Amino acid sequence: MIKRLLAATSIATLCLASGASAAEKIEMWVRTGIGESFKKVVEAYNASHENQVAMTEVPFSELVQKYATAIAGGQAPDALSLDLIYTPAFAAAGQLEDLTDWAKALPYFNSLSPSHVKLGTYQDRIYGLPLSVETSIFAWNKDLYKKAGLDPEKAPTSWEEIEANAEKIRALGDDIYGFYFSGGGCGGCMIFTFTPLVWGSGADILSADGKTATLDTPEMRKAVDIYRSMVEKDLVPASAASDNGVNFLTFTNGKIGQQSIGAFAIGTLVTENPDINFGVTLIPGVNGGTSSFAGGDNFVITKGTKKIDAVKEFLEYTYSMDGQKVMAKYGSLPTRGDIADKVLEGLDPRMQVGIKAIEVAKTPYTLQFNDLINSANGPWATFTNAAIYGDDVDGAFSNAQSEMQSIIDTGQ
Amino acid sequence: MAGAGPGKALPVRRRRRHPQWRGLLYIAPAMALVVVFFVMPVLFTGWMSLHNWPLLGSPRWIGFNNYFRMANDARFVSALRFTTYYTVIVTIAIFAVAFPLAIFVEKHRRFVGAYRTIIFLPVVVGLASASLLWVWLANVDSGFVGPALKALGVVEKSPNLLATFDSAFFTIIVMVVWKIAGFTMIILLTGLQAIPSELAEAARIDGAGRWQRFRYITLPLMRRTIALALIISVTGSILAFDQFYIMTSGGPQNRMISVVYYIFNQSFVSFNLGYGAALSIALLAILVVISVMQLRLLRVGEDRA
Repeated sequence: MIKRLLAATSIATLCLASGASAAEKIEMWVRTGIGESFKKVVEAYNASHENQVAMTEVPFSELVQKYATAIAGGQAPDALSLDLIYTPAFAAAGQLEDLTDWAKALPYFNSLSPSHVKLGTYQDRIYGLPLSVETSIFAWNKDLYKKAGLDPEKAPTSWEEIEANAEKIRALGDDIYGFYFSGGGCGGCMIFTFTPLVWGSGADILSADGKTATLDTPEMRKAVDIYRSMVEKDLVPASAASDNGVNFLTFTNGKIGQQSIGAFAIGTLVTENPDINFGVTLIPGVNGGTSSFAGGDNFVITKGTKKIDAVKEFLEYTYSMDGQKVMAKYGSLPTRGDIADKVLEGLDPRMQVGIKAIEVAKTPYTLQFNDLINSANGPWATFTNAAIYGDDVDGAFSNAQSEMQSIIDTGQ
Repeated sequence: MAGAGPGKALPVRRRRRHPQWRGLLYIAPAMALVVVFFVMPVLFTGWMSLHNWPLLGSPRWIGFNNYFRMANDARFVSALRFTTYYTVIVTIAIFAVAFPLAIFVEKHRRFVGAYRTIIFLPVVVGLASASLLWVWLANVDSGFVGPALKALGVVEKSPNLLATFDSAFFTIIVMVVWKIAGFTMIILLTGLQAIPSELAEAARIDGAGRWQRFRYITLPLMRRTIALALIISVTGSILAFDQFYIMTSGGPQNRMISVVYYIFNQSFVSFNLGYGAALSIALLAILVVISVMQLRLLRVGEDRA
């Protein structure tokens, strides 16, 4: 037994000594809640390559803390699938490998999801590249449209139309509602589904350099009025007022006429709620135009990892036609624009809307995304609830505007 | 109570041979626990509070800047204000419920054991589980309170209890009283039972009414018990976090951010561990001051001699 063990170790040592040909084992962390696509691409990679990826799922709310402590203890994984909005903050903290030269040499670099690359760039160096892409889109329930006497195949193109449709759908019954959103201070849900209303019409909540809060615009006022009016007319279920994101996919219960959801949800609806007959389109802006929020994950590499070549090989695999196909099958949109059409061939045609959204999609660039937007107690989350459900709309605007600015200023 | 040293009865010669360190040896395990799990973390927290200590990256010494920042932090002030408001309301509510209950279960009557058990039961439920249970009870569509009111015809439309400050705050107060009152009741009960019944009897013979007996015999003799119950309740309320985090995630429009919630947000949402540490030290100081004040007000310890 001992002899055999010795033999095995010496062979292992020999392999290590002989260098490059040895298979590497990449440690990689991924956050929970991004669906199956990443798991499946890892499986496909492990089955076809000598190098292996060992994936660990970490609850998304603890990922940052765990990663930080792991770095301090020298136990950090080689690579990480990181919610793209956190990439600037991680890069600024100096914990990520600079990928600029390698990334720019990729033949398809220019067709990678632009929002992801922008978020992965810090001080003109690239630290993160797109891994999975999700965009926000507008969905309507075709069966309810039909029952309400609307044309089920005609996508609404303005919020006036959406509100009018919602009224007709609400008239269908006690527990049938025309519209839904998670309005109980869910910053993440609202940046995803509500800001496209102002983005589509050219306004934004932060200046381009991320240093000024520009919340109080005529476009945002109009967007708030539209939502307020739908709430006042009782077109939205009362539970929306305190939904902190837990019931974000209320649309799947079949009693909601219209809702802005994410492209991941198309996969969920198709596979898990096949009885819901729905259509998707781009989210209209308040004054015309369309927009979307580009979310998803960036791929980042821990600074100083010794397995960087193996990690790069894995990432190149996910960008290959095979890798992209596996990801798309399980709900992640293609990260490469140049082969997107081919990748989506044969998949649900509604995924195409998610792809179209990438072209018009935005993502706020800020080191303080958590503080400003995502935190349930941050100014954005508070604003969405106060402006839509509160009595003092002007107060909600001025409070949020000044608090956002003060958070930005103290963070400089 | 105090003052009776272990070596008091021993002859002087023997005490010299076994000096004070023997007593220290006995309490050493307890001291070690306190040092490792309380003193050292507090010292480390104090050390952290003097740094700009991000969760990622390296800490930077900034002296007392975190404490200066605290003085001008409007959100910290409003968290303090809300915590005070909550503490006052919930403490009054708990005592208003627990005191009558304690008097009720003190008397020997039928099924008193069952009453005590039932009233105490919610105490053994974890606060997080209790909060989740009440989130369900208060749910507008699939819960209990709203749909029940609607079924009874009290309201036309099931209300969303957690959507406005007043109704959400009221729901949380009811939940906490339901959860905690049993514990306060047990503490008060031990105090009530420690009062010799002869005293009340003598007073009754002297013609004292029910209220007079309560005011001049029961209350003064329960001073220490009340002090204990009060300190536990006030400290617990000042440290409240779970119910706000779970039931309202900080409440409609951020109006239910308690101090501990704010510390949590600063440390793990904004990743300012240093500032969170400074806030924790400030909270510790506030708690010490409040506890000393309560003990003074209730004159606990004066009658020790």
